[in-house]
Amino acid sequence: MPEAIEIQLKKGALELCVLALLSQHESYAYEIASRLSESIGMGEGTIYPLMRRLQNDGLVDTHLVESTAGPSRKYYRLTEAGKASFASQKAAWASFSGAVSGILGGVK
Amino acid sequence: MTRQAFMARLREGLAGLPAQTVADIAADYDTHFADGVAAGRSEDDVAAALGDPGRLARELRAEIGLKAWEENRNPSGAAAAVFAVLGLGAIDILILLPVLMGVGGAMFGIAVAVIAVFFAGGVVFAAGPFTGIAGGPGVAILAGIGLMAGAASIGAILTICTIGLVNALVWYGRLHYRLLKPALEPQTVGGIQ
Repeated sequence: MPEAIEIQLKKGALELCVLALLSQHESYAYEIASRLSESIGMGEGTIYPLMRRLQNDGLVDTHLVESTAGPSRKYYRLTEAGKASFASQKAAWASFSGAVSGILGGVK
Repeated sequence: MTRQAFMARLREGLAGLPAQTVADIAADYDTHFADGVAAGRSEDDVAAALGDPGRLARELRAEIGLKAWEENRNPSGAAAAVFAVLGLGAIDILILLPVLMGVGGAMFGIAVAVIAVFFAGGVVFAAGPFTGIAGGPGVAILAGIGLMAGAASIGAILTICTIGLVNALVWYGRLHYRLLKPALEPQTVGGIQ
């Protein structure tokens, strides 16, 4: 079932993608959601439960930034634990995806 | 669904949580609507992309309940975790429920028995020496201490088992929590442009 595989892949990659976006620069939820929504097709609403979980796990923290238009905006940034987690997840992803690609490459 | 309808259903689903928590969560989604509309999308569009507010509320509640257990390893934290997992309403959790109730009931029964044995030991320890029990006062005192010590150690083991059981349930719940995420289902309706 290709659909099930796709869901499993996205499930595994979602947290890694959020950490990766935040490792580039701090960001707010709508921006993260729109980036992930257009590139990997995740539902926008779930970014909030996910961000809450990352915050509970101490991987991100939040601060408010004054906005020129409307109320101040909540920005997320990686904590030290978040950076460490991103580095190890990224390494694990790279070695896993490299191994899978190697095997797929061999199958003609 | 309009922004107002979405927010109303979300708040409805979150009812019962601390007011501050509900306000924080509602503010997140309210901001999302504001950002979406500012980006030129309709409220309907944003609501469709966010997914079912009732389901979102269930997952948010689950996360909060599981967090309560992880911060407070006490009976009320355990109850919060159990209700959080049940609140997800996944079918196989409901099938698990009778088993869970059986195990929980057995553990509760053992706990009551342990407490009873502990107090019986206390009575034997205190009153035994005066009842002229066979073997004399020394035997009664030692028997009392033995009963209390036995009850205390079984109680400790039972506590460890209970903590392990709730941890396993939390792990099981999180498994569903991630599976239930609408984010993980392909969504093409009303994605952010």
